[in-house]
Amino acid sequence: MAVVADAGSLYGLLAVGAGLATGLAGIGAGMGEQGIGAAVVGVVAEEPGFLGKGLFLMLLPETLIIFGLAVSLILMFAWTPFSGIVTP
Amino acid sequence: MSRVVVAGSKNVISPVVEKLHELRMLHIVNYNGSQPQFEMGKPIGKAKEYSEDLIKLRSVTRYLELNKKFPDKAYPESQVLSEMDNLLNNVGADVTVTYERIVAIDAEVKSKQDQIKVLTPLAVLPLPLESYYGYDSLATFVGTAATPVDADVARVSPVNEVYSGSAKNATFVAVFVPADKAGEVSSVLSEHGFSEISVPRLEGNVDSAIATLESSIKSLEGEKVPLQKKLADMKKQYEDLMLATDEYLSMQTRKTEAPLRFAETANAFVIDGYVPADQFGRLKSELESAAGGKLEVSLIADNEADELAEKGEDIPTQMDNPSLVKPYELVTRMFAIPEYKEFDPSLLIFVFFPIMFGMILGDIGYGVMAFLTMVLLKKKFKTPGWQQLINVVQISSVWAVIFGIFFGEIFGPLGLWGKVMGHLHEHELEAVKEAGLYFGEGVFGSLGRIGFWPGIDIFPLDRLASNAVLLLIGTSIIIGIIHCSVGSILGIKTELAYGEKKHAYFEKLPVMLIQVFFGLLVLGLVMGQMMLVIASAIVILVAMVMLVMGPEGPMGLAHLPFYVSNLISYLRLLAIGLASVGLAFAANQLAFYVVMPMLSGGATDSAEFTIPAIIAGLVVLLAVHFINFLLGILSPFMHPLRLHYVEMFTKFYSNHGGGVEYSPFGHVRRFLKA
Repeated sequence: MAVVADAGSLYGLLAVGAGLATGLAGIGAGMGEQGIGAAVVGVVAEEPGFLGKGLFLMLLPETLIIFGLAVSLILMFAWTPFSGIVTP
Repeated sequence: MSRVVVAGSKNVISPVVEKLHELRMLHIVNYNGSQPQFEMGKPIGKAKEYSEDLIKLRSVTRYLELNKKFPDKAYPESQVLSEMDNLLNNVGADVTVTYERIVAIDAEVKSKQDQIKVLTPLAVLPLPLESYYGYDSLATFVGTAATPVDADVARVSPVNEVYSGSAKNATFVAVFVPADKAGEVSSVLSEHGFSEISVPRLEGNVDSAIATLESSIKSLEGEKVPLQKKLADMKKQYEDLMLATDEYLSMQTRKTEAPLRFAETANAFVIDGYVPADQFGRLKSELESAAGGKLEVSLIADNEADELAEKGEDIPTQMDNPSLVKPYELVTRMFAIPEYKEFDPSLLIFVFFPIMFGMILGDIGYGVMAFLTMVLLKKKFKTPGWQQLINVVQISSVWAVIFGIFFGEIFGPLGLWGKVMGHLHEHELEAVKEAGLYFGEGVFGSLGRIGFWPGIDIFPLDRLASNAVLLLIGTSIIIGIIHCSVGSILGIKTELAYGEKKHAYFEKLPVMLIQVFFGLLVLGLVMGQMMLVIASAIVILVAMVMLVMGPEGPMGLAHLPFYVSNLISYLRLLAIGLASVGLAFAANQLAFYVVMPMLSGGATDSAEFTIPAIIAGLVVLLAVHFINFLLGILSPFMHPLRLHYVEMFTKFYSNHGGGVEYSPFGHVRRFLKA
């Protein structure tokens, strides 16, 4: 097995990881929201007063994407496991 | 709010209802028929006539497609009354007749168009239209067939006439056979994929029939145009008067049907309700004078009122905020009306929401544009709900400008700010980058860069620089801790107001401690202060023990990840801001460093750009900035809203199920003069 020791490609892998963290979290949040959104629209059509609570429910899964983003930010800015070899 | 009971003689019910309607003070609690000695009240006066008139009027307004709108002028009641008869009968009948004629014309045109659709393919058959119908001894089949039918028809019915022709990828056939062979021929035809079309009963050849139909469609359409214009004119002429009449009739209906909400005996009526405590005296004196003494308005003692509330009667809430905070009641109302004893969070939204909005958008250019857009919208949308919403965004966009100054952004970082306010020189920039203290390169004109600590000049902060990102992560979390803690403190207060000490001290308090000391713990880790870390950890452990002792027992601990994730959720303040800055930055780069040089044949100096390249670049620039501007109003609005609804309100608000808004019996006149 080839050992990857090139600093540039290690940094690249970090960036790919960061991208995956945010991107996949986004997909997950979207999938969560789709069902809730459809249901909320249905309820609001029947009872407009539910809009606020519906919005609240719909925005709940949004936190997921922020988690993904937090991981990305840590990867890109705060986490330097290869600090010895990587100099971005 | 004071709980009151109004009891009086039935003789005076009309003047009392009239007075109540005019005062708009009493929030009526509907009588639910639970007491055997009282009955539900019956409508008074001309209730039936009013509601019939209202239905008549509503159907006319529907024909005219009148919508609720902001009134252009108000009418005195006497004018409405004097014109109502004419409006309902003459104008109403005229509108109805005109509208029905238009509907009939539409139906006729539709049927003629259908006939044309059927006739067009028949032109391929060499027969005049009258030969398709009117036979006693002949059966006719006209339609499309998939395969030739002549041979098979001749087999079952030697006497026959078959015509065929093809048009539009289909074969049309007309088959005439003796009536007694109809059954057999029909089954033979169906084997050939025959599907029948019904020929309209017209005369002459097909082309002239189509021409006749088309000309009559044209004349019908011609008849429709003046009718539509007539309706439009009538709408213009009567719109306000009709809406005023609608308002008058609705008011009358509500008044005459009000007794349905009262309790009644043979000779008396009783109204239950709430009135703001300071207005009880006025209500009492006004009602008593209106009823000439045949009425008693009494106040229910607080402890009895509390008992009623415990039995499930909702005490209405009237939100009372200074005019600057008023628009934010909209945000509160969208979630839930506060209960009577609950804290009204509008004030908190007023404090936090615009700051969050500003922090996310944080751009002078976008802020000013948002403000101006709202000024325009304010003229267009005049209903109170819209006005409130627009005010909310307007106040927020001022904060966006303020943050824009801190972030040094005018339509994105670096570009315009550098031109207007200047930026660091090459060598200064190098020095800052060398020291790892790069927070941006803009300056405040001759003031240079400004910072809290000597040597570290943070502002104007370039949000895309990595130091700035780390700084903003911290800031977002700190805002989160403050925001959530305020929520928790209010939670403790609310629980105490409801007398739930255990919930206050063992459910809300530990959550607050955990939030604050979680923040301090992370701060300690970052700064390397182990004492702070250990102290915070101890407090968090104590808080966790308190949670276990709380009303939910060990299950209370299960909520811990929720509270921690609440804090992380505030990262969106940074994240969405970054997305917006990124897009603005990309727009500028794309236009000035990609599109313009590329279309000028690789020129690098702006003086060498060709005119078409500059135009194309500007189009790209405007398009991307416009999209970013729209997103830049939408997401900074939605996300702080969510931070309030999800992260903050869950700590204290609406845990007891939401309240009922104080809506006094009466009517706010819009089209009618008082």
